[in-house]
Amino acid sequence: MEIPYIVTPRKDTGLHNSKIAIWLFLASEVMLFGGFFSAYVFLRLGADYPWPERTLPVLPGLINTFVLIGSSVTVVFAWAALKMRQWRKFQIYMGITVFCAVIFMVLKGLEYKGKFSHQAVRLQDFTVMEGHLAYEKDGGEYVLDHNGNKVEENLIYVDASKFTFSTVRFHKSWIEELLTQAEHKKTRILLSEDLVAVTDEGKGGVTLAKAGETLSVDLLERIQKAHLAARSHNSAYRTAALRQEWKTAKANNPDKKDWQLTASVGIDTAALAPKLLTEISAVAFQVDPPAPFVFKPRDIKEAEGQSRLRDDTVIDGKLLDSPMVFHHVDAIDFQHLVMRAVKKGVDPILAIEESWLINNSPFAKEAWEWHQKKVAALEAKLLEDYGTTTDENGVVKANREPTAKERYRIGWKELAKKAEAEGQPKLSTFESLSEEFRGPNYKVRGDAAFPEFSLPREQVKFAAKFTPAWNTYYALYFTMTGLHGLHVIGGALVLAYYLFFGKKMYLENPEWLANRVEVAGLFWHFVDLVWIFVFPIFYLM
Amino acid sequence: MADSPEAIKKSVRTYLFVGGLLFLGTILTVAVATVPAFDIGVHGFDKWDCILGLAIASTKAALVAYIFMHLNHEKKAVYWLFGSSFIAVFFLAALTALAMWDRIYDAYFYSGR
Repeated sequence: MEIPYIVTPRKDTGLHNSKIAIWLFLASEVMLFGGFFSAYVFLRLGADYPWPERTLPVLPGLINTFVLIGSSVTVVFAWAALKMRQWRKFQIYMGITVFCAVIFMVLKGLEYKGKFSHQAVRLQDFTVMEGHLAYEKDGGEYVLDHNGNKVEENLIYVDASKFTFSTVRFHKSWIEELLTQAEHKKTRILLSEDLVAVTDEGKGGVTLAKAGETLSVDLLERIQKAHLAARSHNSAYRTAALRQEWKTAKANNPDKKDWQLTASVGIDTAALAPKLLTEISAVAFQVDPPAPFVFKPRDIKEAEGQSRLRDDTVIDGKLLDSPMVFHHVDAIDFQHLVMRAVKKGVDPILAIEESWLINNSPFAKEAWEWHQKKVAALEAKLLEDYGTTTDENGVVKANREPTAKERYRIGWKELAKKAEAEGQPKLSTFESLSEEFRGPNYKVRGDAAFPEFSLPREQVKFAAKFTPAWNTYYALYFTMTGLHGLHVIGGALVLAYYLFFGKKMYLENPEWLANRVEVAGLFWHFVDLVWIFVFPIFYLM
Repeated sequence: MADSPEAIKKSVRTYLFVGGLLFLGTILTVAVATVPAFDIGVHGFDKWDCILGLAIASTKAALVAYIFMHLNHEKKAVYWLFGSSFIAVFFLAALTALAMWDRIYDAYFYSGR
C-alpha cells in the first residue's frame, strides 16, 4: 500500500503530510526550549548570588555559531539540488552539512572537557577561588590509587579508631574500599562486641557474630537480614497493638474527634516486649590499630572527633590535615562576598581587605592591589569619556562606573597581564588563540602568574568543578547546550541516513526524497534557530 | 511543495545572501557585546544591552525562519500550528511570572530568621 499524501498535497491543508507533521513537532520543540529559556530568565532574575556574566570563552561558541549557520545554508542547497535532480550536488552539500555537525559536537566536547576539570571553591566568607587542583606527587612521580588513576589533592584524611555502620544503609562498594585501605595501612577492622540477638519469638538470644570478627560485606549482609526480619516482625506487632488501642479509645469515647484522642493513645511497650525480636540498626567495628583513612569530600561530612559518611557510617577519629591543594589558581572572585557585605551595610573594600584570602595569601594580596589600580584607572577613563551628571540635590555622579564584576573579580586574563608586566614571557599569537579554547596556558605563563595554593579544609564552604553542582547558571548551561547537542546528533543522523542510503529512494521516487530532505532540513534549521538564541544568552550576556 | 526548479534556482541566490547576512549578524552580536563603543545604557550589561542582543538574535532567527524554512510563503495551517506554540510558551511564562509577583505571604518566611 502506498502512503498517501507524501508527494501530492492534501486538499484541506494544501500541504503533503510530512510538512504538517514536522511543523507540529517543531511546535512541541518550541514548547521544550521555550520552557528552558523562560527558566533561565526566572533563575537569573531571582538569583541570590552574583550571576556569572561572560564567564565562558566566546571563541568556541562563535565558531560553533558560524559552523551551524553554514550547515543551515548547505542543507537548503542540498534540498534545492534534489529538487533540481542533481544527485552529485546533493551528496556534496549534505556531506558538508553532516561534517559541520561533527565539528560542532567536537568543539562542544572540548568545551565540556575544559569545564569538568576546572575547580571552583567558595570559602567560608564567600570569597570564590577558581583554578586547577594538583595531583598527588611522591618525589616527582604521580601517586596512583588502587585503580591506577591519579589522585587529586582534594581528599579528607581521618585517623579512624572506630566505624559504626548502619545495618540498613551501608554502601557495599565503600565497605570494600575501606577494607582495601585497611590492608594498605596494615590495620584490621574488627567487630567491637559480640552480637547477640533474639531472632525467634520466645527463644533466647543467638550469637550472630563474635567480637573480633573481621569486617566484611557478607557479615554486614547477615546482620542486615536479621535486622530487617526483626524490624518487620516487630512493626507488625506494634501496628496491630496500635490499631487495637485506637479501636478501644474510639469505642470508649464516641463523641470525641480523632485529633483529641491522639495524645492519649499509645501502645504498652512493656507488654509487647517479650514478643519482640532484637533490632540491630547500627554495628560498631574497632580499627586495630587506628589508621588514617581517605575519603572523597563529597562522600563525607567531616567534623572533629566524629565524621559521617553519606551512607550513615559514623567514623570516630581525629580529622587530619586535609587541605584542598590548587596546582594553579587562575581567578579570585569577591563579588559574592561583596554582595553579602553590601546587604549588611559593610563597605565592600573593607570586607575584602578583611577576608581570609587576602590575609593568608601574599599572592592574593598582591593581585588585589594590582587589580585596584586597574579599577581606579578604568574609573578615571570612564569619567573622562562619559563625564558626570548633577542631579536636583546637587549630588555629582559619574555617568558610567565600573561594573561589580570589573571591580571585584580578578580573572585569569588579568593575572596573566600582571605576570607579563612583571617580566613573565608573552605568548605567541597561536598560543593566545588556543588559550581562548583551553583556558590559561600554565606551562608558558608559569607558576608566577598562576601559583600553587593550599587551602585548609575548614576554609572550604562549598567546592565543585564547573558543573551543574556549582551554580544554577552551569546547571542551565549544561542542560540547554546538552539538550541542543542531542538534537544536533539526532538531526545529523537523519541527514546522514539520507546521504548514505538515499540513492535507492532517489531512483524510485525523487520527489518523495526531496520532501523528506526538506522536512529534515526544517528540523536542522530549528536546531540552528535555538543555537542563535543560546549563544548570546549563555556566552555574551 | 509546489516549488518549481526555476523558482528554486532563483532562491539559491537569496539563500546565499541571507547566509551572508547571518554571518554578519553573528559578528555584530559579538561586537555589540564586547566592543565598549557599542555599550548602550549603563556601563556593563544592563537591560538595554539585553534588548539589543535579543533584537539582533530575533532578526537572525526571523531570517532563518522566513527564508530558509520557507515561512514567507507557507500555508495558513502551518502558521497556526507553529505560531500557537509561541503563544503557549508566553502564556506559561506569564503564569510563572504572575506566581512570583503574587506571593503567598508567610510571616515567618519573610522575617529573615
